[in-house]
Amino acid sequence: MRALISSCLLALLALVFSGERAHATEFKNVLVTDVSKDQISIRSNYSGETLLLFGAIDTLPYGEVDGVVVVLRGPAQDITLRKKNKQFGIWINGPAYRLGDLPSFYAVASSRPLADLLPRARRAELGIGADVLKASNLDSAQNDPEQAEQEATQAFLRLKQSANLFAAQSDAVEIIREKLFRAEINLPAGMPVGAYTTEFFAFKDGALIGYQIGELPVDIVGAGHILHEAAYNMSLIYGLFGVALAVFMGWAVAIIFRRR
Amino acid sequence: MLVSRSILQKFFEEPAPPFEWLAIMLIYLPIAEMSANVMTLIGMGGLVGFMSGMFGVGGGFLMTPLLIFIGVPPAVAVASEANQIVASSVSGGLAYWQRRAVDIPMGLILMTGGLAGSYSGVQLFKTLRAMGQVDLLISLSYVVFLGVIGALMLRESIQVIIAARKGSPVQARRPGQHSWILRLPFRMRFRRSKLYISVIPPLVIGYFVGTLSAIMGVGGGFIMVPAMIYILRMPTNVVIGTSLFQIIFVTASVTIFHAVENQTVDIVLASLLMIGGVLGAQVGARVGQRLRGEQLRALLALIVLGVGVKLLLDLVNQPDELFSLTRIGVGG
Repeated sequence: MRALISSCLLALLALVFSGERAHATEFKNVLVTDVSKDQISIRSNYSGETLLLFGAIDTLPYGEVDGVVVVLRGPAQDITLRKKNKQFGIWINGPAYRLGDLPSFYAVASSRPLADLLPRARRAELGIGADVLKASNLDSAQNDPEQAEQEATQAFLRLKQSANLFAAQSDAVEIIREKLFRAEINLPAGMPVGAYTTEFFAFKDGALIGYQIGELPVDIVGAGHILHEAAYNMSLIYGLFGVALAVFMGWAVAIIFRRR
Repeated sequence: MLVSRSILQKFFEEPAPPFEWLAIMLIYLPIAEMSANVMTLIGMGGLVGFMSGMFGVGGGFLMTPLLIFIGVPPAVAVASEANQIVASSVSGGLAYWQRRAVDIPMGLILMTGGLAGSYSGVQLFKTLRAMGQVDLLISLSYVVFLGVIGALMLRESIQVIIAARKGSPVQARRPGQHSWILRLPFRMRFRRSKLYISVIPPLVIGYFVGTLSAIMGVGGGFIMVPAMIYILRMPTNVVIGTSLFQIIFVTASVTIFHAVENQTVDIVLASLLMIGGVLGAQVGARVGQRLRGEQLRALLALIVLGVGVKLLLDLVNQPDELFSLTRIGVGG
């Protein structure tokens, strides 16, 4: 426990002196933050985990903060959304919408409802809240771009939420005695891999007074990693390996059962 | 101001992973990109293997829909199931090979057609996948084939059951003459089948079954065996061995083509299905020897029809979610 605290203190000091960040220019940064893990490893028995994001708030410059927001964002992806419609009596994939630059994973936790903290336009600027995410439409020629895009974006959010890849919790950041805060974000088993970013925001009277950003790599490790890499980079060898394994297993079982 | 010890403790405690005991049973499928329960997969392999051992059919046409029902992306289900069938047909085929119940030249010709068919099947698969229509292709193929085969099997077993009740012997079905097909050019002698026929019909049959294998993730024995008996008129003692012989090569090529073109073969998934499948098949074969009867065959027909009807209903009924999502460049 003592070692953990002292290492945390070291980390805090390192963060304090690590200079200024993107949003940290016009204010005295009140946030010192860390994450319970510096990387997420998806092993073959990975069933999801809970990530702890925590930090300290310096109350000297501005006093008590109004709220703290934590955002965990997965790598951006280009995706195709297809809508089914009924043709010849069956439901068939119809129009496709290609959307770019959308996060593959997005979790936001805050100490109060986001709407109470700051207006929607400001949230859109800072990228806080799944509802303000902006997709770049990759299809230039669409008949009714506005409505179609809106419908597609909503479907995207719905699909991501049902896959537990998008989550918003308005009371998930717990502020302890004005100075410490902690938030837990649930990582599902099927989370996409890549470079995630963690962002911490502190607000006072609608103004940003604290900001930290960090990286959190999420990787498949172990045998799963080797197979995943091989499948995409050495497809032929991977396929031959699959066949060899099957031939061996079929042969071995035939031999074993004949002996009986 | 000092923070009390209990708060600190709460603050730094490691959150316990939820359902830790269940995590032991879960396995991450690296290509399907999902977690599944090991016992579910082995159990499914075992159940389908048991049925295939008992009824003497390949299990692919039941396993692929089952995988789709538990949420494996259809493209991954098809390719991984082809990989599993390699194992089950090697395991089943060895016995026929040792009994010399394989017509090797015939098997090689069927295989040649099958390799070409599996290649074009995978190409069709790839093209439709890029258009977002491959799931439809898989579902429709299954609805048609499960429907037709289930209905034929059911009709035949009901006829046999009724005939047995009446006590009259069942007439062996004599198919119509297809001799002009077999008298096409490029004739060859097949010693073990005692045939002297054109190589064109087996090439065409092999091609057709190879295409189906690539699209549906099946061995295709359910088409191949009747085609060999009724069209090629091969003697029944070499039919199953020769069918298994070419299924090994065709499903192996389907696996490799899918791995190269679509990256949809999940070896972890396939291995778990293999373990269950080969064990289940051995048990099923033993049980089947004692229980073989037309009632069982009717039961299998009902299962086949049931799976087909479920797939059809999924196509006809309005889905809860009209949208589906794929990553550009990758995905299922």
